[in-house]
Amino acid sequence: MIFSELYSVYYNTVAAILTRLQEGDADRASLERIVREKAFAESGMSLVPALLDGSWQLMTPDLKTPIRHRPTMPLTELERRFLKSVSLDRRVRLFGFDFSFLDDVTPLFTEADYTVYDRYHDGDPFEDEGYIRRFRLILGAIRDKKQIKFDMISSKGRQVFVRCYPVRLEYSEKDDKFRLLTGSGSFMSTVNLSRILSCSLYQGDKVLPRREPPARYRTLTLKVTNERNALERVMLHFAHFEKEVEKLSRKEYRVILRYDYGDESEMVIRVLSFGPLVEVTAPDEFRELIIDKLKKQYKLGLR
Amino acid sequence: MAGYQELIKNFERVRAYMREFYVYGFRRREEFAGLSARSYDDERRRIESYLGDLMRFSRSSDGKRVFISVDSRRMRHNPFYKAWKAKSFTDKDITLHFILFDILFRCEEAFTLNTLLDRIETDYLSQFDEPMLFDESTLRKKLKEYVKEGLLFSEKRGKQVYYSRRKGELPEGIEPLLDFYSEIAPCGVIGSFLLDKAPLHESMFDFKHHYITSSLDSGILAALFDAMSKKSVVTVANLNRSADEPRLLRLIPLRIFISVQTGRQHLLAYAPDVACIRSYRVDYLKSVKLEEVTPRFDELRRELDSMMPKIWGVNTKRNRYGKEHMEHAEFTIRINEGEEHILRRLEREKRVGRVEKVDDSTYRFVADVYDSGEMTPFVRSFVCRIVSMRFSNRTVENRFKDDLEAMYRMYGIGEGKT
Repeated sequence: MIFSELYSVYYNTVAAILTRLQEGDADRASLERIVREKAFAESGMSLVPALLDGSWQLMTPDLKTPIRHRPTMPLTELERRFLKSVSLDRRVRLFGFDFSFLDDVTPLFTEADYTVYDRYHDGDPFEDEGYIRRFRLILGAIRDKKQIKFDMISSKGRQVFVRCYPVRLEYSEKDDKFRLLTGSGSFMSTVNLSRILSCSLYQGDKVLPRREPPARYRTLTLKVTNERNALERVMLHFAHFEKEVEKLSRKEYRVILRYDYGDESEMVIRVLSFGPLVEVTAPDEFRELIIDKLKKQYKLGLR
Repeated sequence: MAGYQELIKNFERVRAYMREFYVYGFRRREEFAGLSARSYDDERRRIESYLGDLMRFSRSSDGKRVFISVDSRRMRHNPFYKAWKAKSFTDKDITLHFILFDILFRCEEAFTLNTLLDRIETDYLSQFDEPMLFDESTLRKKLKEYVKEGLLFSEKRGKQVYYSRRKGELPEGIEPLLDFYSEIAPCGVIGSFLLDKAPLHESMFDFKHHYITSSLDSGILAALFDAMSKKSVVTVANLNRSADEPRLLRLIPLRIFISVQTGRQHLLAYAPDVACIRSYRVDYLKSVKLEEVTPRFDELRRELDSMMPKIWGVNTKRNRYGKEHMEHAEFTIRINEGEEHILRRLEREKRVGRVEKVDDSTYRFVADVYDSGEMTPFVRSFVCRIVSMRFSNRTVENRFKDDLEAMYRMYGIGEGKT
């Protein structure tokens, strides 16, 4: 169903090669460049040779092709069904896309077919007209590399004015929220979209840097005791970080991962949720954060 | 390495290896039980070809290890999708594909099988010294496959069947929508297939808390969605953690439960053998085969709907007489002045539970669920402010407290100092 050559890197690369041949003046080097850009690392060893030696009768040895039109393919039923499912999603209005061409299509899945059971309850208001308008304006400004200005409510409840280059929108499935990442030099580097009250393009002369502020990474070392399937749970839970794991003994493993310093409080909670099966061994400052919480709990006397 | 092919016929093996390299990544080549060194080398080489720099190697005194390390927050597109684009094909498949869509370029033109065969030979293959031979049966099979995939129309006119291209290419301006949904929608890899047809562009989205491993299960997930859409029974091969060989199970799939905090996906399905609704890890399912349509689907899904307010995670429980087994769980936490964000945390993370105010600085969290053990990680995240707890399942409560004592010992706190 999904695993089909119709979607393969090779078919897409050959389509690009045939298009290049139709443009004329192609040489072997230009075809190999297409393979490097579009296919896998080792595809060059088989893809162009298969075209050259006539295994795939789509290109003659003099680098001509009998294919007359730019290679295209209609959407498959699977692709249409996926798009139909997307059209039913609660966030889809953010994109203002017309799905009427899918009126007679059966969705691959609907919201009755799946549930996200641990998403937070205070997600963004995706169906609010003002939110949708601001989302689209910001997305357009990112695409067109334009500055914006907006009023927002800060985390301390104050109304503040911000002017910035919007760099990207970051979405968290867990928080169900969009955050705006801004270029360095602006007053704030990350802004929750739902905190923005009003927003417009900045038409003034002042130019801010558009460079993305660098991420502030820290390294965390954990010792995992593999009881109650802890290793698998830990590795899946922290799967989205850059990490390395090493076996220390039959039951013990060392996991080293890199996290964004801005998420330290969240990381403390996540590590704590594994109980005694995960111990922080470094750095000391992070270990102290865990110890501080445990000391407070100890004083509360839950026995 | 003679015989090595970059493309693969079956996804299952590469799925297992990628998962192993990504989720674990501490095993040496010799530790891949039941697989030959050659097989390991081939899979490692393939995955390296698909993922490039994301494959890492480390060498220690006990040998070399291969692992995949990805900070998914810095990835605009799931790198694992590449493996889904590595399906093998024959020389005839790819040749026929491009020639067919070249002949069937205009949607309004329809051709019979014989006309297509003639044109393939005279207009295309005749340009080669040793032209490929396509017989009627090969072409008919390919046309039938493309009609089934929704790429072509077939229409009977008299005794002849005519084939034409279906309308509908990728709509313009859809790229931002696909950049987003290819990463967050179930079976998002299909969005990635669509993006391959779009003009080159830079995605405007990043994704935090982004679990990319489940993309390896997209084939299983799509088959389960298809079964639910058709209200079909399925036979699945389920690889339980405690068994070496997968076990065949007949199930009525009802809903997929997705966790955005652990990256795990479960199938909630009715198991006729035990007459109850149970959960199954999607990443443990090796195959899904659609069977007959069942008249019980709607009734069973309604039953699952009625169970939803009692499921904390994915577990359901019934006793041997079919009666529901419920557990009561509550714990009280202290919130000091200036810590109102803790109350907001309780509210937003409460799932099927509820928050009750005891006094200005004390709040009680209450839930009645099938399996209170599933709540343990959530309760632990409030360590430093838990005043009391009362779980009807005493084993869960006692283990929580024992674990707390173990943590005191581990970090040298109070009387638990070691």
